[in-house]
Amino acid sequence: MQPEPEIYKSSSVLKKRLWRNKLLYVMLIPGVLYFIIFKYLPMYGLIISFQDYKPYKGIMGSDWVGMKHFSRLFTEPDFLNILVNTLVLFGMNILIYFPIPIILALMLNELQGTFFKRTFQSLFYIPHFLSWVIVVSISFVMVTMDGGIINELLSYFGFKQINFLLDPGWFRPMYIIQVIWREAGWGTIIYLASIAAIDPGLYEASRMDGAGRIRQVWHITLPAIRGVIITLFILKIGSVLDLGFEHVYLLLNSMNREVAEIIDTYVYTAGLRQGQFSYSTAIGFFKSIVGLIMVMSVNKLSKKMGEEGVY
Amino acid sequence: MKKKSFTMLLTSLLALSTLLAGCGGNNNQASSETASSESTAKPVETEAAKEDVKEEPTQIKIMLPLNTTDTPPDTIKNEVEKLTNTKLTYQFFPADTYEEKLNSSFATGSLPQVTYLKNQTTFIQMKEAIKDGQFWEIGPLLSEFPNLSKLKPEILNNTKVDGKLYTLYIGRPLARQGIIYRKDWADKLGLAAPANVDELFEMAKAFTEQDPDGNGIKDTIGIVDRNELTYGAFKTVSSWFGTPNSWGEKDGKLAPEFTFDEYFDTMDFFKKVREGGYMNQDFAATSKTDAVNMFTSGKAGLYIGGSIQDIDTLNKDTIKLFPDAVLDTHSMVASPEGKYAQWMIPGYNNVVMFPKSAVKDEAELKKILAFFDQMMTPEVANLMYWGIEGTHYTVVDGKAKPADDKDLIEREVKGFKDSVIGEYETNGMYQSYNVLPGRIHAEELVLENVKVGVADPTVAMDSATYTEKGVEIQQIITDATYKYMYGQLDRAGFEKEVENWKSRGGDKIIEEYNALYKK
Repeated sequence: MQPEPEIYKSSSVLKKRLWRNKLLYVMLIPGVLYFIIFKYLPMYGLIISFQDYKPYKGIMGSDWVGMKHFSRLFTEPDFLNILVNTLVLFGMNILIYFPIPIILALMLNELQGTFFKRTFQSLFYIPHFLSWVIVVSISFVMVTMDGGIINELLSYFGFKQINFLLDPGWFRPMYIIQVIWREAGWGTIIYLASIAAIDPGLYEASRMDGAGRIRQVWHITLPAIRGVIITLFILKIGSVLDLGFEHVYLLLNSMNREVAEIIDTYVYTAGLRQGQFSYSTAIGFFKSIVGLIMVMSVNKLSKKMGEEGVY
Repeated sequence: MKKKSFTMLLTSLLALSTLLAGCGGNNNQASSETASSESTAKPVETEAAKEDVKEEPTQIKIMLPLNTTDTPPDTIKNEVEKLTNTKLTYQFFPADTYEEKLNSSFATGSLPQVTYLKNQTTFIQMKEAIKDGQFWEIGPLLSEFPNLSKLKPEILNNTKVDGKLYTLYIGRPLARQGIIYRKDWADKLGLAAPANVDELFEMAKAFTEQDPDGNGIKDTIGIVDRNELTYGAFKTVSSWFGTPNSWGEKDGKLAPEFTFDEYFDTMDFFKKVREGGYMNQDFAATSKTDAVNMFTSGKAGLYIGGSIQDIDTLNKDTIKLFPDAVLDTHSMVASPEGKYAQWMIPGYNNVVMFPKSAVKDEAELKKILAFFDQMMTPEVANLMYWGIEGTHYTVVDGKAKPADDKDLIEREVKGFKDSVIGEYETNGMYQSYNVLPGRIHAEELVLENVKVGVADPTVAMDSATYTEKGVEIQQIITDATYKYMYGQLDRAGFEKEVENWKSRGGDKIIEEYNALYKK
């Protein structure tokens, strides 16, 4: 889909080409408009992160304050903490969650019989359709110390009850378990689809050569879906600091705030609930820049390693 | 190739949708009216009204928080429109996320003519904009409206900004908090309603240890609390201990409540109750719904926090499972020194404002105020608060008795009920006819509470720093309070957090309040 690297000798050739494909370009217009209106124009709003924005004065009328909000963010005593929390959760997403859909897809692929395959696949991805509120409520009911089944079992077997909901040490495990439970099955879909596209001849040939199942997975399946894995990985990095605001916000409470407050929840409380528009815009801006830098560097890295990258 | 055709499909789809959007352009008017959920209402009716000799109905857009799950149908709205000769467009938004909606509408300049806030906190956040002249001042106009001028001056005073009035208020009894408890359990164990905080502790303990539901298993607890310091159990119990209401006088100066010894006594109380297992262990993470469920499912015996008038709802759900359950209310709990006190709200739970961006001139403002003036007649107030007579309530002994179908009332009336201006003393609506003894008791207690009521001295004061970040830094104190109650902070640790609060703006807030306090 990349523009062909052609050099136009004169503008008339270009005009001709444009004219020949005029319908295609007309069809392009809505797409371009969409991006301009919904993706680029709103960036104008980022201006308010350099202002003391007052809604009734508007962007034109508000006072300019330069980097005030950014310096406030970086000097805020909690900032480092929030950034660390965000990065830790992100790291867990990458290291623990990310491989799981791949493993699941490989396992599902080894299942014999389409019936089992389909049933398991559906069972795995159904949780994706439950909202975070429901997922968190279900776990609340299960792990609460006031009669939750897990704590009841623990004490039945003579163990000490664990305060899953309030103990800061349990916040991260709870978070990642819920992410896996809800998302892993959904994540397998793309991998399964790309596995299905592999030429069966490759497997037959390898079997002739005496390759076992594990070998087949290692030498055929994994290399075949490597491109997909890398693409998804880069996209995941792009949303580096988007960890599911709703999910974390629901798990957050006074007792685990030191590990649970992340940039998204902070933006919500400081910005929308307390009406500090400029400040929260500055935080969001900062977050986007970090995301952009990370995507660009990972993309470059993957190209260096001989892969395609996403752009 | 495959890829290419897919992109083409996408682009053509997009093209098609823009085309369609273009065609829809003609209906601009209609679509802007539909903007608020289902109130497309009847264009037919407006036309019919035009043919009448009557004055054309005033069009009013109203935005308000919704405390139920679904937007109410137009049943009540249609009646109100008839009575007041208006054409109303209600925009209901869930109360849980109302601040968000309010702030974003404000930021984009799209507040409607009539904007309800959510509570005191949202009001404080709007103060800066109010001072900047973004909302109509209504104080001088009030006398032109016979019904609006009945609003209580002392409560109007609490809602003034820089001595000027911009808002109408939704009245609430000053002090409606206390305990809702299982009287059947108490009777069984031979306990009377707790006369002081020690007896309250003993009751929580007895409800936990002495098997009040008599099923032979130790499966009950005393107090059920939730993740909310103000409207949960904490503030109410703290006022029983003698803690001032948010701010109190110490050595002739105003100081925040959490610097008082009584605040620590309260935290110690909850710490002891929690350690003993006499309350829900996860209260710092328990939502209101979960807390209420624990009470109505017979797991807990003492519900503190919120309004004791809620006993009707709690009772309704409890007797579904335990037909023999008896609920009662209680509020006079003495401090260790034998003193009584109850914290009070400023007499309103919400206010309504009129943005200049939506109300163009004073003539329009007056028309809208005329609607609110009519809302304060018994006829309209009853309709909005109680519903339609015969369907949602009946009149017994000059009071309104809600119909048995509570769900119907919840669905059709509740949304409007929370928007009624004033209180029954001023708008002349019916008081509630109560059958439940616990509720009748609650009404008596609400009057009793006021006699020992403690007001927040800063209600009508303005602190720029508080407006800017008071709510944000309050989080430090809230977190520290929970940590103290869970035994993760000692007194020194808590005081360190208070220092933290001070250094991040608290000091300035104290200074600003005291500057006003001396005046």
